[in-house]
Amino acid sequence: MDGLSINSFFDNEGGDSANGADFLDLDFTYADADTHLNEIAELYSYTEHNEFQLNVKAFEDQMEVYNLKPLWQQLSKEEHQGIILKLMDQLEVLDVNMRMKAARTLLYLAQGCWVEVQSDEEQQKLTRYNVMMLYRLGVFQAFIELLNLEIENAHVANVAIRKIAVSLADSVDLRVILSFLYIITEVMRAEKERIETDDEYKDLVETFIAEISQPMGDELLAVKLLGMITRFCSASAPHFPMKKVLLLLWKVSLVSLGGTDTLKRLKNEYREKVGLSSVTEDTIEVSKTMRASSPPPTVGADENLNQKRSRNFRRVRNVVISEVSLMKQSSLDEQEQLGMELEAQNAENEEDISDYYQQYDDPMNGADRADTTATDGELTKQNSLSNTQPNHPPQHPTLPWQPKVRTKDIYQFLDVSRQKFIGYSLPDNCETTAGLPKPICEGISILKRHLYTSLADVQIKREEEITRNPLTKGEEDVDLNPTEVLYQAILPNLPQYMISLLKILLAAAPTSKAKTESINIMADVLPEDMPMTVTQSTKLGIDVNRHKEIIVKAVSAILLLYLKHFKINHVYQFEFMSQHLVFANCIPLVLKFFNQSIMTYVGSKNIIPIMDFPSCVIGEQPEMTSDMVIGDSEPYSWRNIFSCINLLRILNKLTKWKNSRIMMLVVFKSAPILKRTLKVRQCLMQLYVLKLLKMQTKYLGRQWRKTNMKIISAIYGKVRHHLNDDWAFGNDLDARPWDFQAEECTLRTCVDRFNNRRYYSQISNAIRFPDQNVNHNQNNVNTNNENGVFNGTESEYNLNNIINNASFGDINCIDDNFELTNEFKKNYEMWLKEEVYCSEENAIDWEAILKEPSKILINEIKNSIHYTTYFMKCP
Amino acid sequence: MVMDASAAANQLVLRRNRPGTSAKEFCGWQDEPFEEMDSTLVVQQYIQQLIRKNPSNVELILNMPDGQDEGVWKYEHLRQFCMELNGLAVRLQTQCFPSTCTQMTATEQWIFLCAAHKTPKECPAIDYTRHTLDGAACLLNSNKYFPSRVSIKDSSVLKLGSVCRRVYRIFSHAYFHHRRIFNEFEEETFLCLRFTHFVTKYELMSKDNLIVPISDNALGDIPGESEA
Repeated sequence: MDGLSINSFFDNEGGDSANGADFLDLDFTYADADTHLNEIAELYSYTEHNEFQLNVKAFEDQMEVYNLKPLWQQLSKEEHQGIILKLMDQLEVLDVNMRMKAARTLLYLAQGCWVEVQSDEEQQKLTRYNVMMLYRLGVFQAFIELLNLEIENAHVANVAIRKIAVSLADSVDLRVILSFLYIITEVMRAEKERIETDDEYKDLVETFIAEISQPMGDELLAVKLLGMITRFCSASAPHFPMKKVLLLLWKVSLVSLGGTDTLKRLKNEYREKVGLSSVTEDTIEVSKTMRASSPPPTVGADENLNQKRSRNFRRVRNVVISEVSLMKQSSLDEQEQLGMELEAQNAENEEDISDYYQQYDDPMNGADRADTTATDGELTKQNSLSNTQPNHPPQHPTLPWQPKVRTKDIYQFLDVSRQKFIGYSLPDNCETTAGLPKPICEGISILKRHLYTSLADVQIKREEEITRNPLTKGEEDVDLNPTEVLYQAILPNLPQYMISLLKILLAAAPTSKAKTESINIMADVLPEDMPMTVTQSTKLGIDVNRHKEIIVKAVSAILLLYLKHFKINHVYQFEFMSQHLVFANCIPLVLKFFNQSIMTYVGSKNIIPIMDFPSCVIGEQPEMTSDMVIGDSEPYSWRNIFSCINLLRILNKLTKWKNSRIMMLVVFKSAPILKRTLKVRQCLMQLYVLKLLKMQTKYLGRQWRKTNMKIISAIYGKVRHHLNDDWAFGNDLDARPWDFQAEECTLRTCVDRFNNRRYYSQISNAIRFPDQNVNHNQNNVNTNNENGVFNGTESEYNLNNIINNASFGDINCIDDNFELTNEFKKNYEMWLKEEVYCSEENAIDWEAILKEPSKILINEIKNSIHYTTYFMKCP
Repeated sequence: MVMDASAAANQLVLRRNRPGTSAKEFCGWQDEPFEEMDSTLVVQQYIQQLIRKNPSNVELILNMPDGQDEGVWKYEHLRQFCMELNGLAVRLQTQCFPSTCTQMTATEQWIFLCAAHKTPKECPAIDYTRHTLDGAACLLNSNKYFPSRVSIKDSSVLKLGSVCRRVYRIFSHAYFHHRRIFNEFEEETFLCLRFTHFVTKYELMSKDNLIVPISDNALGDIPGESEA
């Protein structure tokens, strides 16, 4: 590698060199995003390095025009404002060079006037001050207008389409604009996070959140960006810098919708509103108290390594244990914070470790316990955080989760017991226990004690009620929160957006081959001139990989964020999105993503710290030499673990309680892939993998279970249980293969009904969601936007869209279920003539029926009446 | 009795322009102190009353009454500016044609794009004027950003700056290319003078961008005619 020193824990061959490290738990903390500094650094490719200088140049030139010294910090606040206002005026001039010069100057200000500062901290301070001033003066809005202008720049697009290799040079202006918007958004996000402690800019942050959560002009910023992504994927704008677009979309959505904390708060708020108790367990919190399982032995590609290890495993185990105990000392501190007694800790800890390995010696032990304890009433006492109660016998460390029971499970249990003991069933009654033996009654009371009603259950039930009583229950106030606004805005084109996002994810996956891709996501990293020296090409190689990783990170984060928000807002919004993800082959795509050397991916070092912004511009710059340090000191790549966890969570969200989709996991042979993923010793990640394995265990067959007892034990120990869910061995009645198609169809019907009722009902109840006519729709959006500003309110705008859909989508107006009879097909011209063209005067020739009362004719007339009424309903 | 009647008449002043009111009598009602105005549109009423009284007393017109919400004050003034600017636009239509003024310029240095479109466009000056005034009217009357005229969200107040910047270009175009019309209009309304004071007072525009020369006696000094 050309003498570049690689500061790497794992080398590129996979986990081989890192046997020792394999036993380390990765000290990774999951969060909504990485540190502010890293998030800013990831915005820029290393190949964009030269452009920083252009920004300073623009600033200096501009200051010369104003007869001022190019020293921002020496100017007064009033002067700052004056300069920004002048620059804003310049943003609207016709001459593109003038415009971009002003834009670059403003970007330089947002970047924190890095020429004048000595350290990262100073730069960040200045960025914060400048960004807030820029936002207050309305520069964000001005840049959105600039973005509109640049998106529609047909000249640049045409040049790019004709080019064989699109490069950085094709997106110069767009990147300036997007970078500026991103910096503002990211600074606002960081500000939002510390608003508790420092509310200096509270008002501005709130204004910003309100602004991006509402349509600007006529379009939501997120929708504009999604539109850019769709256009990029349809190859009509290959020069769009996707990485920046995706990062901006992610951050805009994150700031507008809110992250984990908001989700937690909203969930409990909504639950309270419908009379449910709030949820106390938090997956991320609970997983912090867990310990990662050791990697599973002998998996496919790493045969050698694992054989070696399993041979050595027993021999060195004592050593390993002591090593782990040493390791654990550090994590003790963490647990101490949880308010546990240190002494009990120590004892517990040691016991725990031996117990931990004991599981692997005698896997059946764990599984047995699963059976005995799972039905044990004691479980109720167990609380997620008190899983190390000091007085608890060490042989029985408690499970981390409260078990749950669904209402459906109680019904099922009752039904089976009644059939067995009293020989008949009482449908829809879970109250009476008449005639059932005492143990069964006890069982029922335990089940009821663990009953968990999810928000989704309530929403589905309400939807059913509305369907049954549309007139009395149909009225509802839809709260126009940011999620609802977003959903309504993306609803017409949601399938396209999902396909585009997945296309990009596919192109960015490390396993995909560059040649087979229809889209080229490298346009915004490849320079115009290919590298000449080896050092340069090494640098470019790292840059390209880093670029892909960042794209995966952004896409996975966007998808997960949307799924989570839609889920709590309304479960059918979530189902709509997830169904389209499934239709767009999201499940195999994610599996394909994990079908790689996961240890390499997690440990990858595609980062050159001194090339990152702001290090790359502050202070004296070293020559590009061969002894640059690649990679940072971390033993793993934060963004890659983050992406992995996001993707696993997406997979979980898509497949949970959906037999048809779980079957997809089985069909696509996910088990070995997931098993390999377990090698990453990170609790949260393992937890999501185990969940995925748990749901398909019963389909994997006895042989698999027999050879993977360790995994089964790990699942038992880490994943939440449903009390009478026989996940490992059971034969679930509602998991019969012939039900799968029906399941998906029923769901679709419900989702369609929901969308029609809530979003399309005012126009016509005959319109289905515009699946096929999105192209029309796209055009309509464009034509609509011509008269953009004067278009009035947002609802009017939506109305226009829908009307356009209706007029173009006449095919969709016809209900799928309606079959045309052959007679009608044969004679439709006559029907047209009689029923449509000559209407009022000779409406229906009733006499004709009397003349020749044949059955066929009557059928035909029936049809024609049906059709007449049908078309009259259509707009 | 007579006293009572006149007092009652005083109370019953109807400030209304009935159909058929002659131009002379238009808005010819007596003034009412700001404190006594009780409609929801007090601020507008007050501003218009001051303007009718003496449009050249810019300081007084822009002097915000005590206890007045600054956002609303700025908003109402900008509304008033846009309304009055329509007068200038009408006059410009007699002289400024898309064929003669093909671009929105003031000095030759800068040509401006018309921001009223989703994708900003290069419109002829008169179209720029119309579009910008329409756009401003649309924004200032939009239910979304300005649902109330009693209190206004901070986020909406932020939008006033860009309206000012765009509207000002109408003044500068008129000044540099249709000086006669500009002068006639300015002599009657003192609108540009007032606008300049307004944006300077509330720091909505940078002083350097206010290119139309304004001083208290500036209007008299400017030579009468300079056609574009």
